[in-house]
Amino acid sequence: MHLTPVGLEHYLMVSAVLFCLGALGVIMRRNLIVMYMSLELMLNAANLALVAFSRFNNSLNGQVMVFFIITVAAAEVAVGLALIVALYRKRQTAHVEDLTSMKL
Amino acid sequence: MILEIAVLVSGLGVLLIDLWTPADGKRALGYGAAAAVALILAYSFKLDATAAQFAFGQSYVLDGLALFFKRFFLLAAVVVLVMSVDFADRIQTGISEFYALVLFALAGMMFAASANDFTLLFVSLELITITFYVLNSFQRNQQRSLEAGVKYLILGALSSAFLVYGIALVYGTSGTFQFSELAGNITAVSQKPIFLLGMILIVAGLGFKIAAFPFQMWAPDVYQGSPAPATAFLAVGSKAAGFVLLLRLLFGVAPEIARHWKPLLIGISAVTILYGNLCAIPQRNLKRLLGYSSIANAGYLLLGIAAVSASGAAAILYYLSGYLFTTLAGFMVIAVALRQVEGEDVTALAGLGRRSPLLAAAMTLAMVSLAGVPPLAGFFGKFLLLKAAVQQGATQPAFYWLVAVAIFGVVVSFYYYFGVIRAIYWSNDASQAAPISIALPMRVALWFCIAGMFYLGLFPDAVLGFVEQAVKSLRV
Repeated sequence: MHLTPVGLEHYLMVSAVLFCLGALGVIMRRNLIVMYMSLELMLNAANLALVAFSRFNNSLNGQVMVFFIITVAAAEVAVGLALIVALYRKRQTAHVEDLTSMKL
Repeated sequence: MILEIAVLVSGLGVLLIDLWTPADGKRALGYGAAAAVALILAYSFKLDATAAQFAFGQSYVLDGLALFFKRFFLLAAVVVLVMSVDFADRIQTGISEFYALVLFALAGMMFAASANDFTLLFVSLELITITFYVLNSFQRNQQRSLEAGVKYLILGALSSAFLVYGIALVYGTSGTFQFSELAGNITAVSQKPIFLLGMILIVAGLGFKIAAFPFQMWAPDVYQGSPAPATAFLAVGSKAAGFVLLLRLLFGVAPEIARHWKPLLIGISAVTILYGNLCAIPQRNLKRLLGYSSIANAGYLLLGIAAVSASGAAAILYYLSGYLFTTLAGFMVIAVALRQVEGEDVTALAGLGRRSPLLAAAMTLAMVSLAGVPPLAGFFGKFLLLKAAVQQGATQPAFYWLVAVAIFGVVVSFYYYFGVIRAIYWSNDASQAAPISIALPMRVALWFCIAGMFYLGLFPDAVLGFVEQAVKSLRV
């Protein structure tokens, strides 16, 4: 059986699919936690693209950037989950439809 | 570099001193923090940036533009810290953390002003955004504040995802993160569609920061729900950080692409102006009104971006300077005058003219300046932006339409800005008549903002020369 070697375009395709799935998740899902997971998926799509570009461009810069992104994403998750928990304690809900205390 | 380090050390210092400060003394730590930032601001005038200096392998640059924005952010932070001290009684716990977070956000903004590399751009933007998640939801006993924080969190994280993916695509097609290297081979890479897609995603991520259409939907809710000092810092600092990065990227790195995108930028600017002004008309909540007004102001500022010229960049810097004094004055009045009132309805300002002439005057001047009436700062800033756009009209007639839309927006904005002034002076249903006492530092800050509005409106030459010098480091 003959398999074509995995090239840059395959990685990029997976990364684009991940990014779109994440974006769809943020748009379609209504639970804050699930939306937040989808956002992390989008960040990881970017990480995958960076690592793939880095590998095929023969430069390490992209992989260094990935470390920055992972660190920042960890900080973002820590703050974000704390916020969602605080909101849940206050409202007993994690659905975006219930976030309606401010209107015109 | 020394300025950022000093700011970070003051932030950590506040957290540390907090440990040995008794509970009733913690509030005054804010004055210490404000004094430290004021000292750093004074020191920044000893720095010389006529020749660009680099650090960390060219990822950090100190040039005229960076220094201008560093002073801008420092100035805003001083006023915001003074405002936070006044606001402290409405924050249940952790007021020292509030001061420290303002300082950390300030450090992020100052790094953003110096970003010369996509890594620093991303990290500094995230430092700003993540601190604002916390600042916005700081009144966590109030549902509005938490909601504001969560809305900012989801949309902020979405915009950073776009930004990061755009950076990945730009890196993949150009092979570099550095702005100077990228500027060197911009003509070659700008032929690649993937590179352009990456740039669009990055600009979208920055568009969220400045609240430009179609990334503006967070602004009204977040402005309304957040504590007033956090909103003020968000309106002034975070917006200016978005604009300095847009200037660096579009005018410093890729003016060729920006010129190519003129029709797109004109469209975004026009829609942002119309959206902000038209949606502001029915608003009754003051902070929400200022949220829509900040969208409209982002639209005016985008006039300068769309012009892709040195005069456009200078006009942006000038307008932002006026916007700083105006917006901070407005939010200071909201923080003080609406202390006892639940919610921030415009009608709650009734009788303010009698209760506190200074607050009433400051609010009136802020509204008049935002509306763009001479001789205040807002008029001259708008004049410069429109002039920059008209100059481009010769090559691209669409700019005349954009100017027409902007003038229409200004006329519409008279209606709601003057609605606020009417509520202050010509409203009879004043429920409270007790005079409002204002703490001395707050009074000084108010006078300072009023003086700034008049100075920028009456004597534009000095600041104009300063901003024209600052934009020399851009490539337009």
